[in-house]
Amino acid sequence: MMVLPYHLIKVCGSTVFAAQGGDIHSFNLALEYVSSWKHPVPQVNESNGPPAEAQESPAQEEPPTKRRKVEPGQEQSPKGRRAKSTNGQPKNKKQLPGNERPFIQGLYATTDGRHVVAVTGSDKTIWVFEHDGVGNLKQLSQRAMPKRPCSLALTRDNLTILSADKFGDVYALPLLPSPTPPTTTSVTPGATTPSAPSPPASGPDESRSASATPSAATPNIFKPQATALTVHTKRNLKALENQKISLGRRALEEQLNRPQFELTLLLGHVSMLTAIAVATTTVPNDDDQGQGGERVREYILTADRDEHIRVSRGMPQAHVIERFCLGHEDFVSRLCVAPGGRAGVLISGGGDDDLFMWDWAEGRLLGRAGVLEHVNGVVGGGGGEGEEAGVGKVAVTRVFACGWEGGVGVFVVVERIPAIFRYELLEDNTLQHRETIPTAGNPLDIEALEAPGATPRLLVAVYPSSPAEGSSNPSSFIALDKDETGWRQTDVKNLPAGGDIDISDTELQKMLYSTETLRKLSDFD
Amino acid sequence: MGGDKIKKDKRQKREDYRAAMRKDDISELPRKKFYRQRAHANPFSDHQLIYPPHPDQMDWSSLYPHYIVDDPTSPPPPAPEQTPSEPDLTPLRSKPLSKEVSVADIGCGFGGLLIALAPTMPESLILGLEIRVSVTHFVEDRIKALRAQNQEAGLYRNVGVLRANTMKFLPNFFRKAQLEKVFICFPDPHFKIRKHKQRIVSTTLNSEYAYVVKPGGVVYTITDVLDLHEWMVQHFDAHPSFERVSEEEQEADPCVAIMRTETEEGKKVERHKGQKHVALFRRLEDPAW
Repeated sequence: MMVLPYHLIKVCGSTVFAAQGGDIHSFNLALEYVSSWKHPVPQVNESNGPPAEAQESPAQEEPPTKRRKVEPGQEQSPKGRRAKSTNGQPKNKKQLPGNERPFIQGLYATTDGRHVVAVTGSDKTIWVFEHDGVGNLKQLSQRAMPKRPCSLALTRDNLTILSADKFGDVYALPLLPSPTPPTTTSVTPGATTPSAPSPPASGPDESRSASATPSAATPNIFKPQATALTVHTKRNLKALENQKISLGRRALEEQLNRPQFELTLLLGHVSMLTAIAVATTTVPNDDDQGQGGERVREYILTADRDEHIRVSRGMPQAHVIERFCLGHEDFVSRLCVAPGGRAGVLISGGGDDDLFMWDWAEGRLLGRAGVLEHVNGVVGGGGGEGEEAGVGKVAVTRVFACGWEGGVGVFVVVERIPAIFRYELLEDNTLQHRETIPTAGNPLDIEALEAPGATPRLLVAVYPSSPAEGSSNPSSFIALDKDETGWRQTDVKNLPAGGDIDISDTELQKMLYSTETLRKLSDFD
Repeated sequence: MGGDKIKKDKRQKREDYRAAMRKDDISELPRKKFYRQRAHANPFSDHQLIYPPHPDQMDWSSLYPHYIVDDPTSPPPPAPEQTPSEPDLTPLRSKPLSKEVSVADIGCGFGGLLIALAPTMPESLILGLEIRVSVTHFVEDRIKALRAQNQEAGLYRNVGVLRANTMKFLPNFFRKAQLEKVFICFPDPHFKIRKHKQRIVSTTLNSEYAYVVKPGGVVYTITDVLDLHEWMVQHFDAHPSFERVSEEEQEADPCVAIMRTETEEGKKVERHKGQKHVALFRRLEDPAW
């Protein structure tokens, strides 16, 4: 049995939420425990549909990329039977891997503090809670997404959740689902009319620019896609025959598997998304009305495993890509739009040795700031156990910025490194490393409690370096305060009991340290 | 055992042949049989691809050596949008070209379209992009041979080919609004519903095409699979950045005839007496906001 560490922290008004496994605990500003929400432990199989059906439905399987690795071996042996099984869905054995536990993978809050949003990984579910302001959560909705969400963001008006998923797509879903069940997920395009769509010059273009997407599931007339004219070999013709037979059944399944809530596909990368952020610019209001003043433009920033950071317009024009911020040479895992009137600066981190600073609105690189060198200051310089040579690569897991001593402080966490790296974003947009704060264990998440006129208090979730053996458990939820003498650590006391789980240390580490796995293997072709 | 032996011999032959083709003085056209490769590639996997982190770091000079600007004092005509004071992203403009690529053939296959387009668009640099290694090598050798054969006329100097996964890395090669024409000819139909995300045309990917194509530019599509044609039309129609080009205009475009007859797949479809479905889409200006 292991006691799970706290792994996510979110400050929401005067409440601090912290996730531990599948639980969300809340604390007040004095870090006294208030209450908990626990994930209703899984009903083993997916909730909708009998298990027999779930076995064959393609939509509920993991992405094909993952499955394919297993398939070749199976495909080789029963050669004669392939014609049939290539066409019907391959009957993959359904097995829940041991690490597929409903861990909270993301914790978000609306800016008004009235709602909290959480994502759980294995069941791909987005949970929305009403927050009473003092730490009590009331579950409002539970929506299972088509693919596993990797990162969420909320639009500026707090009305829409943007979910970036493992398959590369960004979906918009209303924070609070409308009471009427939606019938169609998106505007159906005039598929058969070849006539030109209305020119975009016609006004603000609200009507057709919702960038609604005819997703793969939209066409409801199913028909064979190949014809005897396009496939020629005997095997392919047989396959075509089989396809026709299975179409009716598949159409029905598609209908059943479609999410029963409002969901709009906004944009997509052909790559796993790792981070999403919403950023704004303010432009002078220069339209014909001559009202003057300013208006705010909202943008969606998305980062992927293939080194891209994309800047798209916000809804309803999310189909327009304004820029790419290109320059990373390894995966991007974190995006952080600078606070404190510096919203034009984006800081990104990932598998590269450096953090990158961008003028995201122009797609222009402003500069880079080293991480690896400071990590080796921790690992190589006696702080680590035996690893004198230091590390060769880093995986940035957190980039958190807040007001700090009159400027902008940027706190960086690197996977499996027991320290927090504090930088300062200077006026000239350079990022200056200020100090390395050693921690008793590897930090997993970081937030700050900001109070007017005082240095913010850092809240850190750590994975204690030595798992408890009989002795009192080292706390995995700590507060750090800076005073004249240095950093003072306070363990958060009286943590709620529980959090014990039958999981091996290796398995747990696999779940908590997943960022490095985004790196591409170099010997693969 | 015996099978292995034969396979090895075949592979050896391929390698010998291709090594011979690499030599500079060869101007013989390559033969396809030494370059065959499985027709499908998974666009999601991490192929060992070479691509620049940023379009400004792309070195085009090896692809279009005849367009290298000799005079280093003259400024490169394609003005990059970026200020010269770029930290760390030093543009690899040691050998700038007098112009930049404006036509791309996505999934160029064995290069039939490229070769046919090259003489008809002598003023444009044309780039073929292909995900399969061997096929890319074939096109490289083909271009090299054709350039050698047409040395006096100076033909085929404006075509090049690159191995790339455009579904992932198109913006690594091209700046915003750089391209005038993009060809998508006989793409992999991906019949299975769960493979539809792998299709080269989808509303989400169309946003990337809209990004690299300048307003007024055209995306050309052709396929022999009616359902894929309908899919492409549906997805481009649904994308607010594109409008379908009218039939008259489409048929008047000389590129359309070339696309119908000169692509390798086009010829194959001809042999099988299949249908060819063409659709063109114009990039619209982005709406005000």
